[in-house]
Amino acid sequence: MNPVAGGVALNLAFGFSILSIITLLIFIRNGDMRLFLTGQRLSLGISFFVFLSTFILWYQLIISNFDIDYVARYTSLETPFIYKISALWAGQSGSLLFWLFILSIFATITVLQNQSKHHGLMPWVIISLAIIQLFFLVLTNFVTNPFMPTDADFVVKNGNGLNPLLQNITMAIHPPTLYLGYVGFSVPFAFAISALMNRDTSPLWIQSIRRWTLVAWLFLSSGIILGGWWAYQELGWGGYWAWDPVENASFMPWLTATAFLHSIIIQEKKDMLRLWNMALIILTFALCIFGTFLTRSGVMSSVHSFTASSLGPIFLTFVFLILIVSFTLMFLRRSDLRSEKRIESFTSRESGFLFNNLVFVVMCFAVFWGTLFPVISEAVRGTKITVGPPFFNQINVPIGLILLALTGVGPLLAWRNTSKQSLIKNFTVPILSGLVAAVIFMAIGFKGSVVISFSLSVFVLATISTEFMRGIKARTKTFNESIVKALITMISKNRSRYGGYIVHVGIVFMFVGFTGHAFDKEKEFSLKIGQTDHVAGYEFTLLKLSETERSNHYAWISDIRVTDNKGEFVTNLYPEKRIYFHKNPDVNRRQPHSELDIYSTLNQDIYSIFSAIDNDNGIAFLKIMVNPLVRWVWIGGYILVIGTMIALWPRKD
Amino acid sequence: MNSNKKFTIMITGVITVVIFWIGWVSSNPKDEKAMATFVSVEKLLNDKINKRTKLGGLVKDGSIIISKTNYLDCSFVLKEGNTELTVKYDRTRPDLFKDGAEVIVTGQYLDGTFYADELQTKCASRYEGDLRDESNYKLTEIKT
Repeated sequence: MNPVAGGVALNLAFGFSILSIITLLIFIRNGDMRLFLTGQRLSLGISFFVFLSTFILWYQLIISNFDIDYVARYTSLETPFIYKISALWAGQSGSLLFWLFILSIFATITVLQNQSKHHGLMPWVIISLAIIQLFFLVLTNFVTNPFMPTDADFVVKNGNGLNPLLQNITMAIHPPTLYLGYVGFSVPFAFAISALMNRDTSPLWIQSIRRWTLVAWLFLSSGIILGGWWAYQELGWGGYWAWDPVENASFMPWLTATAFLHSIIIQEKKDMLRLWNMALIILTFALCIFGTFLTRSGVMSSVHSFTASSLGPIFLTFVFLILIVSFTLMFLRRSDLRSEKRIESFTSRESGFLFNNLVFVVMCFAVFWGTLFPVISEAVRGTKITVGPPFFNQINVPIGLILLALTGVGPLLAWRNTSKQSLIKNFTVPILSGLVAAVIFMAIGFKGSVVISFSLSVFVLATISTEFMRGIKARTKTFNESIVKALITMISKNRSRYGGYIVHVGIVFMFVGFTGHAFDKEKEFSLKIGQTDHVAGYEFTLLKLSETERSNHYAWISDIRVTDNKGEFVTNLYPEKRIYFHKNPDVNRRQPHSELDIYSTLNQDIYSIFSAIDNDNGIAFLKIMVNPLVRWVWIGGYILVIGTMIALWPRKD
Repeated sequence: MNSNKKFTIMITGVITVVIFWIGWVSSNPKDEKAMATFVSVEKLLNDKINKRTKLGGLVKDGSIIISKTNYLDCSFVLKEGNTELTVKYDRTRPDLFKDGAEVIVTGQYLDGTFYADELQTKCASRYEGDLRDESNYKLTEIKT
């Protein structure tokens, strides 16, 4: 396959997107069904050519055609196959093509799925998706084309190779997962715009996108968690979340999307909050584009600045256009978006959802504020003040704890109004469990927000178990089923509800993990072979230092024995100091890399970094961290994924 | 409607409290490391700012001195434009830290030296660099 074909395919996709938009607009004016069918096919055509050009680029990466600048820049002959594949999203132009590729998959699914459904909504849905495709086609065609030939007057024998930091299996999965989430919200957004254009803001559009939104949310959540996992495993500062601008960029749409997932339940069940839901999904999508902008623009210095570029203004313009057009449209349709129904009582499920939404949005604002604080402070006071993790933690810990509490309270409230008796009946056990837990945790010696977080976790788990128990009891009584069978049928009969509760359990686990951060300990020290040092009650002895040459790097390996305070053997750790491109005669072009070693248990992780080596004297410089409860975050992540899948699983009926 | 009014008050209340909270934390951070002022090296030297600051610049070629006894102890010269400043740092250095690297340091200035407790490197130029020297190196390597 000729690389030129890739460029041509992108050109054709660009042309098709314009044709598709025009045809569908004419259809909306004159109602000629043939035009609708043509427009639909043209839209499938956009996606087809995007697929084609993506596959061509992939093929060029695999066969190492260094005549293409992108291939030469991000791969080399030595790059393993899997990372040649993942190089598609290693650089800017490739990752934009990849965005487009995913969007085209989603657009194709949406078109094919709705061929005989939602005839009223589909024209505008397709137009909206085609406009988003058009935006990315303009970028990949005219601004940063992935098929650009290499600018060299000699034959390029080998490429640059992929950054070793990105040569990690999680890094091959994390960006696409996140992208699937970001891009996934295009579909609900397109439906929202279509509902506005059609003046049909009844719960219909909500029903058609509930599953889409959940899928996008699942990918966004897993993408964020995988990103944390990668940072923890690879970056070597011992944490999984640094409130880095790009992390925040993925967290903000997650917050508004989570709010949206909750509030559409009210619209589906009660036809309330039409305006609010509309605003939330528009905001979520705009934040997704804003996230891509923050990742790709290089405005914020961050670990993610693998590329710096001039795309910023174009992306910002697109974000503003989305916001202006969408909110103007909302304003014009404000009378359709008004719902007649009102929330009747504070102690109702509706009110619980409303406050949960409020807190999510407020948290999103807080994160937004911190992320843009350097920009804001420079504009207002003339000095650029950057804020670090302590700032974000101080603001968000209380807000997060309120959210955690609402996770427990919400599900126990009844629709419309909860009577005093049922309030007492539902909350006695959970509140008592929470209080008992608080007393126990204080007796152990925990303080402040740690006690609150742990006790709230117990409280939430108690409310969820009460819910499960009540459901099981009802079934075993009425249908005389065994407990296990009752549990399974109960979940499968009401997947979205119980799936949702399982997601809540996952969130609680993650909160437990976050709270463990309060007890992190770290120490940097040097050890000669045979010497010992202590961190957090553990003893670290350097047994030996060895070195080895592997296919694409050179490594020094330290062998550390870890024993606990009773002198019992815990584990051996082998953190490495590696040099990539070690054969390069130019020392400055060799690339050191610290490969960590982590010993992980439910209680805590022992995290080791080989900071530096003094070869002459046989001394290893180490950084050791003891991070309690980190594993709970990952376990919580798995539970969250399982819960979401249950909620998503299609019914057989 | 009465309950509607109550809700409006509640919601406005929550938003007000949170905005005050964010504003309060923004002006009184609990941890001194929560905030740092980003200034140019020149401004830092002229104004002798002794607050927590963040500086950006390049590591001057050949300026990295690593202590012979403690490999974690290092000093280097940070160059921003024509201004230079000696920086001391005694913690684990990021892998990408080397001559010519673009770095961001956070810490405090005292008597002609900047004591950094955070050292971040920006993306290695190698990955965005000129293909020419890269290919040349490979070409020579193939010959030998």
